[in-house]
Amino acid sequence: MRLNRRLLLSFDWLWFIGLLLLSGAGLAAIWSTTRGTNLSYYLGRQLTYLCLSLVVFLIVLCFDYHVYTDYISFAYLSGLAVLGLTLVIGHTVHSNKSWLKLGVFAFQPSELVKILVIVALAKYYSDTDRDYLELSELVTGGLIVFGPMLLVMLQGDLGTAIAFVSIYAGLTFLGGLKRKHVVVLVIAAALTLPAGWMMLKDYQRGRIQTVLNPASDPHGLGYQPQQSKIAIGSGGFLGKGFKQGTQGQLGFLPARYTDFVFAVISEERGFLGSISLLGLFLLVSYRLLRAAREAKDKIGSMVTVGVFSLFLFHVLINVGMNLGLLPIAGIPLPLVSAGGSSLLSYFAAMGLCMNINMRRFVN
Amino acid sequence: MVKLQPESNRQAIQRRLNWLYPSLILVFSLLGVRLWWLQILRGPEYARLAEQNRIRSIQVVAPRGPILDRNHVPLVDNRHSLNIILYRELMKDLASTSAFATAKLGIPADDLAAQLRRNRRAGAYQPIVIKQDVGIEDVSIVEANKRDHPEIQLGPEPRRLYRFGNLAAHVLGYVGEISEAELSSNAFPGVQGGELVGKAGVERIYNECLMGQNGAREVLVDSVGRELGMLEEKDATIGGDLQLTIDFDLQSQAEGLLAGNVGAIVMMNPRNGEILAMAAAPSFNPNNFTPRISARDWNALMNDPDHPLQNRAVQNSYPPGSIFKLVVAEAGLEEGFIEDGTHVICQGAAIFYDAIRHCWNENGHGYMDLEGAIKNSCNIFFYTVGQRMGIEKISKHAKALGFGGRTGVDLPNELLGVVPPGPRWFAGETISVAIGQGPISATPLQVIRAVSAIATDGKLVTPHLLLKAERGPAPGPWPEQQLAIKPENTRKIRAGMWDSVNSGGTGHGAAIPGFDICGKTGTVQVISAERKKEIKKDLQDFETHAWFAGFAGRDNPEVAVVVFLEHGGGGGAAAAPMAKEMFRAYYAKKSTTDTVSKAAEHSPGGEVR
Repeated sequence: MRLNRRLLLSFDWLWFIGLLLLSGAGLAAIWSTTRGTNLSYYLGRQLTYLCLSLVVFLIVLCFDYHVYTDYISFAYLSGLAVLGLTLVIGHTVHSNKSWLKLGVFAFQPSELVKILVIVALAKYYSDTDRDYLELSELVTGGLIVFGPMLLVMLQGDLGTAIAFVSIYAGLTFLGGLKRKHVVVLVIAAALTLPAGWMMLKDYQRGRIQTVLNPASDPHGLGYQPQQSKIAIGSGGFLGKGFKQGTQGQLGFLPARYTDFVFAVISEERGFLGSISLLGLFLLVSYRLLRAAREAKDKIGSMVTVGVFSLFLFHVLINVGMNLGLLPIAGIPLPLVSAGGSSLLSYFAAMGLCMNINMRRFVN
Repeated sequence: MVKLQPESNRQAIQRRLNWLYPSLILVFSLLGVRLWWLQILRGPEYARLAEQNRIRSIQVVAPRGPILDRNHVPLVDNRHSLNIILYRELMKDLASTSAFATAKLGIPADDLAAQLRRNRRAGAYQPIVIKQDVGIEDVSIVEANKRDHPEIQLGPEPRRLYRFGNLAAHVLGYVGEISEAELSSNAFPGVQGGELVGKAGVERIYNECLMGQNGAREVLVDSVGRELGMLEEKDATIGGDLQLTIDFDLQSQAEGLLAGNVGAIVMMNPRNGEILAMAAAPSFNPNNFTPRISARDWNALMNDPDHPLQNRAVQNSYPPGSIFKLVVAEAGLEEGFIEDGTHVICQGAAIFYDAIRHCWNENGHGYMDLEGAIKNSCNIFFYTVGQRMGIEKISKHAKALGFGGRTGVDLPNELLGVVPPGPRWFAGETISVAIGQGPISATPLQVIRAVSAIATDGKLVTPHLLLKAERGPAPGPWPEQQLAIKPENTRKIRAGMWDSVNSGGTGHGAAIPGFDICGKTGTVQVISAERKKEIKKDLQDFETHAWFAGFAGRDNPEVAVVVFLEHGGGGGAAAAPMAKEMFRAYYAKKSTTDTVSKAAEHSPGGEVR
């Protein structure tokens, strides 16, 4: 057994408790919004996913993280294959063909692939001893990320796809950029943006426009952000209480146990609850960043920063859209939103980072 | 295997990691500040919005009160009707809704778009009426497509039903949505935009009594508008009953007599001013204004040269013609210009103020005292009296009898008529006025009121239509005024009026053997005889106006009638027979029921055949 006493002592309990509290907040919100409705099975399902996630978390924790990084190319290619398979035989939910059905379980491979991409890119970038990345490495790294991203985009899941950009950005920054390469990347981004805008569907463009002008279409595309703001604002300082949030309970909030779960918690728990939730996210983010600093090798830092980037990006986009600051994109709130694939992937990722953190001392 | 990295590389990574801390602070301060802004600073406002979201107040339109005749015959009440309504919050996409509404329900896409634009600012849960008062075909189409178009539903609305169509249309009036002008002028205090108000007739005058109290249902709803529970329900209260003095049978009789004519008939109790019938022709169907009058119908009403919306009994005035001789007679008697021996010798014409004036009878009436002059409607007698008395005295007595002033009837837009003298008065005009021609005009209601005063020895009543209002201002007391007229003077005038009807006078067309009917005819020249000869055309527009005003019985009057026919011919030939039919209907009614008039019941003079 590789889990010796010293490793156990290095386990960051506060970090772990932070993860559990976030998942617990999610469970409470799901309970609050689905109890007594025909969706009441969501709570049991989420609880099952949480147990499963904790098992995966523990397994990931058990073995030295180099075991995973050494075999990443195989895992990465398998992940690509599954993504491709999903495109062919996948199951469509809300116009996203991103679900794979295994018996009773439906799974979104794209969530797990993000973790594989982090590790794969971290592995690739950390194989060099140089302080800066060469242009060829930037391009190859780009291919590692944008290959799966393209497949996810083909599934129609734009929100998940955009998250890949954050991975590339975070790890490339850490790998080191020469000034001229920054210029190259900026130009590349500048060229891609208009094309991306053209590729967006009308409703997606509309969602971006409603952020700039929320009153433009209160009954159409502006409805969801408006209702979300009403939910959060009406929570006030102390909130309306458990199961008392009218916006969430009466269905004015869309996707109230998934994408808009933050609004539900803010409505029922008030500023006190929502700022505490933000505090927990800050705690976990901080722990990730600290783990990256303390990691004993480059790949450890790289993997942790990749997870940090993805995590912070998800929190920013999801909470930002709940607060009406950012356009609506189908991005769940890490650890809190209902959804097994995302929860499992995040616990696996957190397991990996805590693994790296536990093994930070060079032995 | 663990691969050790060079120290420089490690330092570079640490340096870059330090850069990530500010990003952490930036992201979380941004989100935290926004939370503070939404929840603390603007919390109360959003709390209000959340309440508005879940609680909605749905107005329940109160039906207007029914209008009954004096015997409780319902003239106006309400019927159930269905509107097609659009719930925008249930609408999936406008294109399919619009296509459905146009193809299946016949609602033009433009109309629908306009309605949506108009209600842009209203909450999405507020239903929009897209088609009013639909028939069974539309109802079945909406029901059949419930599944595909849940946004299109049916909603009930009580609607005004004028049970007898045109009957008493001018008295009853009609209803319509309150206009912008009425809203801004506060013509109907407390009435909100979109509500129905009376636009004419008693619907307008007694709008407050007739309008019910709208109810409201405060319901808790979810985001798709499903009602989850009732918070508070306030039932709509139907408006108050309005009982009119109108008698359905007499009104029907009057309407029947006027059919095809232009004019008015009013029957009134001369003792208390209760109007038993008030008909004007041409008429209109107030049901056409419900739910909304079509542009075609409206234009037809507006462009009709006979102005069907005008209530000729009160909203137009005409020279009273020979009926005005009664006023001149009253003035002459009171002022001492007509005494027991006063008479003229009528030779068919005479000179007044250097002009030849004709009597209607070119052969002359010969010896004419007051009674004979009234009976035969002799112009020469009244020219003479008028000339002696002068316009001031005629005018004074005309005004005392209610000419040129409001009768006080409970109808809107009553016309005052004209009483001389005007600003520039020529003595010759006094001669015309003495026989009710020239610059003098009165409404038929003013005429019947003045004649009633003569019938009742000078009691000037306020004609009115309201018998009992269940709610709102209590009816009356309707002001009555006792004029300073000597009873023996009115008795003399009545004697002339009795002769006119019953002993071969101009009003003999109104005679019913056995009944004490008194009356006076009037025939108004629209154009002078000379001018008519010049034009040499016998156009309908130059035909004389026909008048008859009278009452029964002679010394215990219980009912008065005025008949006016615009370009209807001679008063004796055209108007008097109609008055006769009105009297006949009155007595027929009286012999079968005792509810015609309380005053009539106690009147000893009311003979029943």
